[in-house]
Amino acid sequence: MTDSAHLVRKLPNDIGGAEAGPIDMTEHELLPWEKRCHALADVLDFKKIINTEEKRRGVEALGAQMIGNLSYYERWIVAFGNILFQKGLLTPEELARKMDEVAARHAAAEAGGA
Amino acid sequence: MSVHEHEHDHPHDEISVESAGYYEIMETAVRELLVAKGMIGPGEIRRQIEVLDSRTPALGAKIVARAWVDPDFRARLLADGRTGCEELGISFYDDTALIVLENTAEVHNLIVCTLCSCYPRPVLGLPPDWYKEKPYRARAVIEPRKVLAEFGTTIPDDVEIRVSDSTSMVRYLVLPRRPDGTEGWSEEALAALVTRDAMIGVVPVTLPETIQ
Repeated sequence: MTDSAHLVRKLPNDIGGAEAGPIDMTEHELLPWEKRCHALADVLDFKKIINTEEKRRGVEALGAQMIGNLSYYERWIVAFGNILFQKGLLTPEELARKMDEVAARHAAAEAGGA
Repeated sequence: MSVHEHEHDHPHDEISVESAGYYEIMETAVRELLVAKGMIGPGEIRRQIEVLDSRTPALGAKIVARAWVDPDFRARLLADGRTGCEELGISFYDDTALIVLENTAEVHNLIVCTLCSCYPRPVLGLPPDWYKEKPYRARAVIEPRKVLAEFGTTIPDDVEIRVSDSTSMVRYLVLPRRPDGTEGWSEEALAALVTRDAMIGVVPVTLPETIQ
């Protein structure tokens, strides 16, 4: 089973030295929610709720498939959710209910012409 | 855009583009739950966005220009990057250490974060997308000359290239070489030459073409 050994030796974030294609130098301005997500990361770090290394490991724990399919800040916010669950600071049910509430609020705002 | 303005018949796709997506809803929900539980203050995210917006490569450029004109400052900056920046009134909003790497005739420095996207944000702001993506992170440590060539940079073979890999606690900033022909320039004029990419180490600092 040595063909799987590379999966053990190198976790998904550990790509230094891997083969990769040309550098795409296109840059994008952060979307407002992406900037809020970045600010949230900083505040969680200041308050010692989630530090930078915990965040990095939280992203890595999403696994290669999610890392490959989610964008940068999408990975961050999903990792924050998982870490907050693990620390017992939020429950999955609380987050699911709050997301329903936020989605309903957005839908109502759009229907109301906001 | 209101629904009432949409009586005419064109597709409503643009409304769905404006709608909050799954991850944006998740961000709002996490933030509101943390505020409701008193774990973060209601204004703290907005204040941190203001801090992020205030950090741009102009701060790094100011540090570089001062180091070029003031050898004593340069020595202090190379000894401790963080206190050097603080000397110029540039505060660090996190716990990271900063190591300033000086380019010379013998050594060219390049910074990367192979594991994620660690970057000297207090002095350069947020990193470019390419710094966070796989090709740069994967290749910078194994074929830096090829990576530099993609940025149009050729480093002579007799100049050593040193690649420094950032961590969550230790960040790097490249102190580029001062271009020839800038003797007697003011600090402000020098700072205007210094770009973000030069402080990452992927390009040199050059004079504007009109002067060259």
